[in-house]
Amino acid sequence: MRKVKHLRPQEHWGWIIAIYLYLAGMGAGSYIIGTVMNWFVHPSKIITIWGQPFDPAKGALLWGPLLVAIGAPFLILDLGIKKRFLYACLNPKTSWVARGFIILSVFIVFGVVLLAKSAFPFEWLRGGSPIWNILEVITLAFAFGTAIYTGILLKATKSIPLWNTYFLPLLFLVSALSTGSMAIILTTLGTGIFSHDAGTLKSLILIEQILVVIEAIVLYLYLLGRYRISEQGKDSVRLLLYGEKKLIFWGGIVLLGFLFPFVLESIATFSPGNVWLIFFSGMTLLCGGFFLRLGVLSAGIKEQIPMKRWTEFRYHLKETK
Amino acid sequence: MSEKVLVVDQEKCTGCRQCELVCSVYHTGSSNPSRSRIRVVKWEHEGIYLPLICNHCEKAYCLEVCPTKACHREPELNHRVVIDKNLCIGCKTCIMACPFDHPFFDVKEQVTVKCDFCDGDPQCVAFCYAKAIMFLDADTIQIPKKREAANKVLESIKQIR
Repeated sequence: MRKVKHLRPQEHWGWIIAIYLYLAGMGAGSYIIGTVMNWFVHPSKIITIWGQPFDPAKGALLWGPLLVAIGAPFLILDLGIKKRFLYACLNPKTSWVARGFIILSVFIVFGVVLLAKSAFPFEWLRGGSPIWNILEVITLAFAFGTAIYTGILLKATKSIPLWNTYFLPLLFLVSALSTGSMAIILTTLGTGIFSHDAGTLKSLILIEQILVVIEAIVLYLYLLGRYRISEQGKDSVRLLLYGEKKLIFWGGIVLLGFLFPFVLESIATFSPGNVWLIFFSGMTLLCGGFFLRLGVLSAGIKEQIPMKRWTEFRYHLKETK
Repeated sequence: MSEKVLVVDQEKCTGCRQCELVCSVYHTGSSNPSRSRIRVVKWEHEGIYLPLICNHCEKAYCLEVCPTKACHREPELNHRVVIDKNLCIGCKTCIMACPFDHPFFDVKEQVTVKCDFCDGDPQCVAFCYAKAIMFLDADTIQIPKKREAANKVLESIKQIR
């Protein structure tokens, strides 16, 4: 087994891609939770801004596509030649980057249209046409697609064992729902949007806590599976747990992403009305969501090149413990 | 005409890195090994060197994952897999996908570059004095190995006699 200090992870995709994955996931998750709430709870609070009707409740629930739209430029920022970003959709037949480009674009466009329609309830837009319902279902499907895509993009890299598993899209989906629901909680916090129904916020926090627990279980199973899959999979997990990425894992993912939010939210449920407690737990959870992507990205170690492995084997060159 | 491929004999490589130099001069006009399409991995203390080249794989992952179709195969030129610089956006997906660590990111041009057999006359082969890199017909690449094995058998037989 190699010494942890000798492990060299990939360095091509870094924090810029992590932000892109994070915002895309959080935006999509927020839209999924928001749409479901919109369907079943119907929170609404119409105010007037410059003589125009505006519904901040709907805005808070459905603003996910805007987060994705903020995140998308980060992918462009990471490109070598940024002005050619539109070329990125030319090969959807086999490339997940191209498919993702299309999925995200459709989600952003449809999502922003629905957000505008819901947040600005003009008379001429209110018609109960079934087209809007169909559009909502399609956009919800694309939101799921966006949340899962962030994991599929990495899974498609077959030469990195840490990423090449269906557990990763699942992990990112659960994390997207968890951070997304927290984004909704934070947006509505203190605004009184849910004040007509105090139980809504409580249920949302309960859902949030359940999602955090599920995420922790999926993360454990994911790391366990990767540790057992191959030598480089094991190295990646070791790098994340004991190597140079341990601060990201223990500090960013475990402490900020799981422990703090879970404990603070549990305390908050016993002291209702403590907005600051929920605010801090929310902020730590959102940071944890980012560190999860950063950790998974930065700990990815490629399978060793067969010729290099053969040479090391032949001449006994491996650095061992 | 049969297809030709690059073949490396690791034992002959002396680690002079002439291949990296001529590759960068041929493709970029600058003598900058970090911009070449071939890399020599070194175990300096042990004196072991391993030139890493593109295998132009039959099932090329770089080609599959490229979102712009910049990475494509040219059947008329030894079935080589090449990257069209005018289409490449520099997303580095091909670098991540390749199990042989081959396509390289050219920081100056901000695109991914890879071996293209120098349009049929690989400079790394022409300038490798140790003959560690060869450009052979795909059908005949096993012949040197078979000859070597036959020679070993012959030597063994001689020793027995």
